[in-house]
Amino acid sequence: MPATVESFRCMMCGHEYQEKVEKDQDKERSCPKCRSNSIRHLKKKATATQE
Amino acid sequence: MTYSEVESVSGYIGNFTVQIRKKARYVNPKLCNSCGECVKVCPVVKPDEYQMGFSSRKAIYIPFPQAVPCSYVLNMNDCLGNNPIACGKCADVCEKQAINYDDRDEIVTRQVGAIIVAIGLDPYDPTEMDEYGYTRFENVITSIEFERLICAGGPTGGHFVRPSDHQRPQRIGFIQCVGSRNAKIGRPYCSNICCMNTIKDTLLLADHYPDTENTVFYQDIRAFGKSFEDMFQRSKEAGTRYIRGLPGEIEEDPKTRNLRLTVENTTAGRIEHHEFDMVVLSIGVVPPKDMAKISGMLTLSKTSDGFFMESHPKLKPVDAPTRGVYFAGFCEAPKDIKDSVCQAGATASRAGALLNAGRVKIEALTSRIDEVACMKCGQCAAVCPYGAITWKKGEVAAVVEAACAGCGACGATCQYGAITMRHFTDDQIMAQVRAILANKPQDKVFAFACNWCSYAGGDMAGISRIQYPATNRVVRTMCSARVAPEMVLEAFRCGAPVVLVSGCHYADCHYINANRQTVKRVQKLWDQLEKAGVRPERLQLEWISAAEGQKFAKVMKQMEELRKTVTMEEIEFGRTALQPKPKKKPAKKELEEAVATQ
Repeated sequence: MPATVESFRCMMCGHEYQEKVEKDQDKERSCPKCRSNSIRHLKKKATATQE
Repeated sequence: MTYSEVESVSGYIGNFTVQIRKKARYVNPKLCNSCGECVKVCPVVKPDEYQMGFSSRKAIYIPFPQAVPCSYVLNMNDCLGNNPIACGKCADVCEKQAINYDDRDEIVTRQVGAIIVAIGLDPYDPTEMDEYGYTRFENVITSIEFERLICAGGPTGGHFVRPSDHQRPQRIGFIQCVGSRNAKIGRPYCSNICCMNTIKDTLLLADHYPDTENTVFYQDIRAFGKSFEDMFQRSKEAGTRYIRGLPGEIEEDPKTRNLRLTVENTTAGRIEHHEFDMVVLSIGVVPPKDMAKISGMLTLSKTSDGFFMESHPKLKPVDAPTRGVYFAGFCEAPKDIKDSVCQAGATASRAGALLNAGRVKIEALTSRIDEVACMKCGQCAAVCPYGAITWKKGEVAAVVEAACAGCGACGATCQYGAITMRHFTDDQIMAQVRAILANKPQDKVFAFACNWCSYAGGDMAGISRIQYPATNRVVRTMCSARVAPEMVLEAFRCGAPVVLVSGCHYADCHYINANRQTVKRVQKLWDQLEKAGVRPERLQLEWISAAEGQKFAKVMKQMEELRKTVTMEEIEFGRTALQPKPKKKPAKKELEEAVATQ
């Protein structure tokens, strides 16, 4: 399965992290820090701007 | 119908159309009397899959002794063909003239009212667990291979020998949980059958060869069924040693081909070394390869372990989320023969009850499509997890009410207001939003909760007397996928400082996978809010199960904390910034044209 590294931000605590995501992956996400499910998938453009 | 495969399934409860590929056998089972003359002359020799490659078969063979019908099959991939120069010997010797080289696969169509899915399991392939040396050491075998070696109908006629030198092993080690309860290899679940299978194997060995020394390495022995504990005790009394701890490594002595294991005995608290003549890996089970194909055909969902998910784990344990489809056996979860038989009986009863009733009663919670307003875009059909919406390009979509389960994902997706979800209409939900936020909206935590999990999680918090802020106001929808973006935006327009959308966990979604639509919508809404200058954190998403009263209370406390950070200026800005834009002109024009043509 092809995989890419994607960026995510927890909308509850603000924690940002990266994760390897396989194509068509169907996975429930939760923040590794606060366990919230409000995980925003940051688009590549948005990540680049923030960096 | 044996030696056949389902190609496609369409339709709905009581009215399925199934296309089946009847594979070519090249031997007419009505004529074949299984005399075996063809096997004697067949020159092709191939490893016998049923005997795990320990013996061979011919290109024409009976797949396994209990095969029904008990007639031969010709494997055309192995056969040299009916070329007089190459072969054709089996046809020459067959007195009944049962062999037909021109046989072809046949597609058969059947109308059925109910479907029972009983596609079984695949054994775990231990190749990836290289520490056990399954591919490197001949005397490391799997529990399935052990089964063939000790079986009277097996390749050695029941004489238990080790593969390297065909001598009877004296010291045999069994390693439990190979491919089970191991999150590192993505198999965190217990395979259910391996403990008792190993106990049975040790008893067999003790019975056949009382002088063998059997040692079992385990994490836990799960002997929970009727008489299972008794069997476990009998195995110990027969001399089997049980050591708590799984070996980290296996090495082979190149001279004797014996196997050396290093293991941490967690009961004694020391590292031990053991030597065996043979090691048996007690392999777990995995969902069958055809799972994805069947899942797609019948719109079924899977649990995180990869097995099919039932409609309800307690109240509908054999029903699939798709009406008229039932499960039996391993495909739903790992289980032993007794449980599989029980489940098969329950499944047959459920299917029989459905067919005998002759008619189906469905909930009034279904979607309805306004043919005039429908813009024929087909988005509703794309998001329906049940395939209950029929649509062809350029045509108005239609709901098959018998297949519709009432999640409302279609209603939330339709941008033209053409879909009405009975009892949960847009107008009804919007009216609730406006009424809740009519007075002092700045003091309220506004939440949408799905009927089955999140709302029940709130109930659980209540009956468990778990304290949480009294500021929350909840609107119930059947599924979180029913929450349209407009509903969330309307809450912000009405002055809600924060909005929560909550639904079932991924594995618990009561509408197959409708809550994935919720994720997509909330992602888009975060983008939309940010674009409009509204803090996207004001919208939150949570998965809360019916048993998670604690989590419901925790989330509500977090939402209350978040609410306190939202200023009145932010709320007022949100009210104006999120005002609806005028509808697209072309859509309106198309709508007028559609009305005019009626």
